[in-house]
Amino acid sequence: MYRYDEFDRDFVNARVEEFRDQVARRMSGELADDAFKPLRLMNGVYLQLHAYMLRVAIPYGTMNSRQVRMLAHIARRYDRGYGHFTTRQNIQFNWPALSDIPDILAELATVEMHAIQTSGNCIRNVTSDQFAGAAIDEVADPRPYAEILRQWSTVHPEFSFLPRKFKIAITGAEHDRAAIQFHDIGLHLKKNDKGELGFGFYIGGGQGRTPFVAKKIHDFVPEADLLAYTTAVLRVYNLYGRRDNKYKARIKILVHETGVEELTRQIDEEFARLKGGELTLPEADIKAIAEYFKAPVFLERPEGWESLARWKKADEGFARWVERNVHPHKNPDYASITISLKPIGGIPGDATDAQMDAVADIAEEYGFDEVRVTHEQNLVLPHVALADLEPVYRALTAAGLATANAGFITDIIACPGLDYCALANARSIPLSQEISTRFGSPERQAEIGDLKIKISGCINACGHHHAGHIGLLGVEKKGTELYQITLGGSADEHSSIGEIIGRGFEPEKVTDAIETLIETYLGLRLKPEETFLEAYRRVGPKPFKDALYGASPAEAA
Amino acid sequence: MTRIWTEKGGFAANDPYVIETEERQAGEGEIALLPLEDFLTKAAESNDANLAVVLKPADDVRRLEPFIGRIALVAVTFPAFNDGRGFSQAVWLREKVGFTGSLRAVGDVLLDLIPHMLRTGFDSLAITNPVAIARLEAGNLPGIAEHYQPSVKPAAAGAAYSWRRRG
Amino acid sequence: MTAKVLTANRLTDGIAVWLDAAGNWSEDLQSALVARHAEAVASIEEIGKRDFAANKVVDLAVIDVQDVDGRIWPVRVRERIRAAGPTIAYAPGYKIADPDFIAS
Repeated sequence: MYRYDEFDRDFVNARVEEFRDQVARRMSGELADDAFKPLRLMNGVYLQLHAYMLRVAIPYGTMNSRQVRMLAHIARRYDRGYGHFTTRQNIQFNWPALSDIPDILAELATVEMHAIQTSGNCIRNVTSDQFAGAAIDEVADPRPYAEILRQWSTVHPEFSFLPRKFKIAITGAEHDRAAIQFHDIGLHLKKNDKGELGFGFYIGGGQGRTPFVAKKIHDFVPEADLLAYTTAVLRVYNLYGRRDNKYKARIKILVHETGVEELTRQIDEEFARLKGGELTLPEADIKAIAEYFKAPVFLERPEGWESLARWKKADEGFARWVERNVHPHKNPDYASITISLKPIGGIPGDATDAQMDAVADIAEEYGFDEVRVTHEQNLVLPHVALADLEPVYRALTAAGLATANAGFITDIIACPGLDYCALANARSIPLSQEISTRFGSPERQAEIGDLKIKISGCINACGHHHAGHIGLLGVEKKGTELYQITLGGSADEHSSIGEIIGRGFEPEKVTDAIETLIETYLGLRLKPEETFLEAYRRVGPKPFKDALYGASPAEAA
Repeated sequence: MTRIWTEKGGFAANDPYVIETEERQAGEGEIALLPLEDFLTKAAESNDANLAVVLKPADDVRRLEPFIGRIALVAVTFPAFNDGRGFSQAVWLREKVGFTGSLRAVGDVLLDLIPHMLRTGFDSLAITNPVAIARLEAGNLPGIAEHYQPSVKPAAAGAAYSWRRRG
Repeated sequence: MTAKVLTANRLTDGIAVWLDAAGNWSEDLQSALVARHAEAVASIEEIGKRDFAANKVVDLAVIDVQDVDGRIWPVRVRERIRAAGPTIAYAPGYKIADPDFIAS
């Protein structure tokens, strides 16, 4: 993974001191609150219901054990002993004091971490495939480009006060595990017929109040033009994005209101001016950055095949875990593992300091010292020998991190919701806990199969409910919480926005409604292998609406 | 009280540029900072040089292109510190329209924005905020020397990669 | 007029606080000064503005409350959660919010 050089270290240390100065000026009143706000947001500091929240960046979701241990230390020393991994591959701490945050940032800087631009109207964390560098279907590792974009976008003097936040995601495989079509810029790293690397370039995706699937505006932007083209997009957005209404300020609205052809024409015109200039990426620089991401040396471990078969026969729980949470790797003696942060009935995406330390130990001993965060609030060990799966499973089990539910109904994504967030209208976490408990038996989960439930506590959609096979949106109605159900959303290469299927449900009725939806699906699926999403796309919303709300009078007649 | 600051000269007295209002008109030896439409009218109707124009964030800088050699100063407005359009206007004025005269930031010019302004091509800042004035008088500019991207203001190459700068 | 209390977050640590009768900012909603008429509301708003200007608190809000079984009970569920803390067992050693207090 990327390692800081002296330039990076000088920068991040200067940034910490700059923020320390800004905090001091705010405390003394020299800096007014409304002028301080964008500055603290650009250092990841939110004010929530109960306390400040600090969002620490985990660039493209990649960390080493030293960094994971530091996060555990921060949780212990400055917070309440836990952290929350987010839908953009970052981590949030919910109880830091502003007065401690400069020190927290200084400690993070010692392990090459920061909280720069994890909030604010600027370019945010560039996210990617959690299996990058390991996945068997990967064309090329997207992370070097994510790192180049991360550097280039850091404290960009022109793009620090955009109309709104700006999110970029990049996949290096056809099967999109990075949800690129729901990002402001989505990049699909691929090869052309000559074997050269470049990007399918998408703009204008997003969730929130008005969800849009991104539009592909170029099939192949050569890798050398990545920064120049991205600059052209940002410049047009910065100049023409709406600033009159916070809910109409993302680039997706600019695309929608200007028209994609006209907007692309404007971007291309600016790009033509920049092309071939100082933003061109020299091959040598791309190679140098890519060096940091080359795969570790994988020893042959063929004994893993026989061990794996033996272990699976001996332990049903282990077998289920392998079936669900262990994923194919480029190297046949190895696998990638999902570490579930979704214990049955637990808080999705949370990890205690002890659990973080356990993950660090396991990654260091068995995982080539690498850990990933997924945008579905889980962790991943990208490289583990099959021959080490059993001891890894035991260690994860001891830490409460071996729930065999990756991609199952209990692998729920939930935003912090009204339990924490000042923007929320309703709670998300208790609902996810109830649903998880109701469907928690391994047999039920296996029977239902792949199903993504995503819960947002407000229209800002941080729980990505629009992209859930079943989405739940919490709203406030007459002072109480109510939940709307959407069906058929998806964030992979066949992205779709979920459809609202009818009036909302009170909190105590939601889980029963989910039960009804599941029963309906099980009743109409062609075979067990037909997933909920496939069945929904085949039959449409009607059977589900009828089951929930009763058949319409016309049909009943 | 608004004071004019440049990186080379610090705070200047005797700034000749005036944003005209009902109460205040440009006098002898002063130059009116004209809003875009008024500027375009004047530029078209006369051969005057040393003109000055003040742009709002939604103004299209490309409309200055035909008259660019006759403009001494363009003032770019930052109405609220979180409206960043002025930075892109500045980049286009310098790089696309080829403006080589004085580029001044006016409006809500706060201390923490100054490094961004200097990098995007502003050479002159109109500052009202007392804290900013005090810090600039003390020569205590904020900002980080390491830059991760090129910008309008020339800077030395930063170590290792083509996109980095230092200065 | 609905009864009101003044709430904010402390600048230094962001912790949710309520203005009490002594003019201090308390972490306990039940200590809050309840304003029952317009002059009282105006007065607590003034104190809020003063303490914001003095860099003690941020994010001030006057919120509606009711008297329920002798307790101050905020009308909005959001404010009840602010007062009682998260409604989930988020960390050992921290009490989960009282479900009866949170319930509508």
